[in-house]
Amino acid sequence: MIDMAQTPSPTDDTEESTGGPADVEARVGLRYTLRQVRRDTTARIGTLIVGVMTLVAVIAALDYYLLQYAIAETVLYNPETDPETVRRLLPPVGMENQFGPGVIEHPLGTDHRGRDLLTRVVYGTRVAMTVGFMATGIGLVGGTLVGAVSGYYGGRVDDVLQRITETIYAIPFLVLVIAFMTAFGRDLTFAMIGVGITAIPVFNRLIRSRVVSIREEDYVEAARAAGVKDRNIILRHIIPNSFAPVLVQATLQVGVSILIVAGLSFLGFGAQPPTPSWGQMLSASRGYMLPAPTFSLWPGFAILITVIGFNILGDGLQDALDPRINN
Amino acid sequence: MGLLRYTLWRFAQAIPVLVGIVTITFFLANQIPGDPVEIMLGPTPAQEQVEAIRARYGLDRPLYERYLTYLAGVATGDLGQSIYFDRPVAEMILLRLPVTLLLMVSAFAFAIVTAIPLGVLSAKRRNEPADHVSRVVSLVGVSTPSFWIGLVLIIVFAFYLGWFPARGLVLPWADPADVRGAATRLAVLRQSAHHLFLPMIALGTLQMAQIARIERSSMVDSLQGEYVTLARAYGVPESTIVRKHAFQVAQLPVITIVGLGLSTALGGAVLTETVFEIQGMGRLIITAINNQDYELIMGTTLVFGFVYVVGVIVTDVAYSYLDPRVTYGDD
Repeated sequence: MIDMAQTPSPTDDTEESTGGPADVEARVGLRYTLRQVRRDTTARIGTLIVGVMTLVAVIAALDYYLLQYAIAETVLYNPETDPETVRRLLPPVGMENQFGPGVIEHPLGTDHRGRDLLTRVVYGTRVAMTVGFMATGIGLVGGTLVGAVSGYYGGRVDDVLQRITETIYAIPFLVLVIAFMTAFGRDLTFAMIGVGITAIPVFNRLIRSRVVSIREEDYVEAARAAGVKDRNIILRHIIPNSFAPVLVQATLQVGVSILIVAGLSFLGFGAQPPTPSWGQMLSASRGYMLPAPTFSLWPGFAILITVIGFNILGDGLQDALDPRINN
Repeated sequence: MGLLRYTLWRFAQAIPVLVGIVTITFFLANQIPGDPVEIMLGPTPAQEQVEAIRARYGLDRPLYERYLTYLAGVATGDLGQSIYFDRPVAEMILLRLPVTLLLMVSAFAFAIVTAIPLGVLSAKRRNEPADHVSRVVSLVGVSTPSFWIGLVLIIVFAFYLGWFPARGLVLPWADPADVRGAATRLAVLRQSAHHLFLPMIALGTLQMAQIARIERSSMVDSLQGEYVTLARAYGVPESTIVRKHAFQVAQLPVITIVGLGLSTALGGAVLTETVFEIQGMGRLIITAINNQDYELIMGTTLVFGFVYVVGVIVTDVAYSYLDPRVTYGDD
């Protein structure tokens, strides 16, 4: 009785059943989600983009932390040029190669300091993906906690917690994060925390409304009557039952977080030079829009493609997991 | 309850949130590292000078006392003194807020005017090529950073084609004598529209995409409603059904999304003002932060919050005005 909520039923033909309790149970959980995603074309495209971007980010991170740019060097190897220029990729290398044309060794050209643009855009993926996932994670955990406690206990606790999240939500989030970072620190860590905090109200609202409706369900009543602790009821019944909408929201939120952090970096809050981040590259490109218009193009495209990936995946998940839609 | 009373009641309800905004802002500003007095007077000021400044700005009093003073000040419209501009914060905000509001209003006007036909067309031609195009446009719109749209617009329409100015903004209410190349009010307005065009699109695209998405799904729902089936059975022409029966009901979720979009748009205004070098609230808060102007940081942050809260109340009131089912809060 206690475990039935989070165990997906193993039957494969869920969408042919007519919405009985077993059907509802089967519509939660990871295995069900994966199966639905495989069937939905949009979700598959989204998964592909997100997968490729994550892979790029992981490779860039490995190259940066473990291999000291070995991959960047190999990919961009050109016997006519000094490999040392690639090694000195991230710190400034002077102006002699400013805005080099898109030849083989610099397919996208170089930036205002002569650094290869492709490598920097690829390395920017690392920052964007880290920030996107971390900020969403903070918002997800914080919002789930607040929402679950608030919805489950109701009354005074609910009132206080909801007024606080409402207030956080009432300051436009970019402004709130800017104020937060001014107070605590201008680097990437605080960007992640700040953006994460602004995502708390979103998940809080979602979880709280689920909790309020699930709280009165028979199996929760039964668990309570059987003497299961509140904490266990929340963790084992209520949260797993909110899996589908939270997953959809979290996917979309990663995209939103990437957009906000790009905006923050553009304003000078976030990854500090020479660490390559897309927002900060766009900010640097502002001074060179006339001589090097493509400098502004590529980091923006990278943001666009990544965020589209998360949005398509989120939309696809929503369709795939929506019990009202039969695909 | 009448509409006016409902509006006042919504404002009264918002008071705790407004106090909350002031509280968050005040305590965040107090966390900012660095000593404001040192910033004003330089690294090695004379002791009596420091004390005089501390007393003048009330910095010698305990935190809670300063908080209460600040709260009382906000309630009476006194937001303190900007150190950087050497003027009252409220005065600076009154100077800059209209610029940002002008930008916001034109962005939302652009968004609504383009998104509603797009969404309706999409819903009417569901799963046809027109629908696919419109959905791709919305998807790209919600996924593109507004400041990048601004940069691309500047490169294409200002630098290459030269159709629009790349930076700055002429205010429509500016005195013709102060505007270069404008002798009459009409010329000022023309210049103003000319300057506003690119920032409006940069800021409005995200809203346009979001509204188009909601408009589409809302219209799809509403076109499947029983009253639409009934109207069809009575032989009402399809265009009349779309225009009269389905459209009006479908606009309610759109109003909600406009309200929610205000938060994003206010943040977007900071970025758009930066890209186009427009001297509005966004540039003011960035200037305040870069110069550690505490009172100005607090003032701008909380005005951003207040504008959002007022915007949400306005959309709520519009919602209840347009929806015959809402009874202004009493059951």
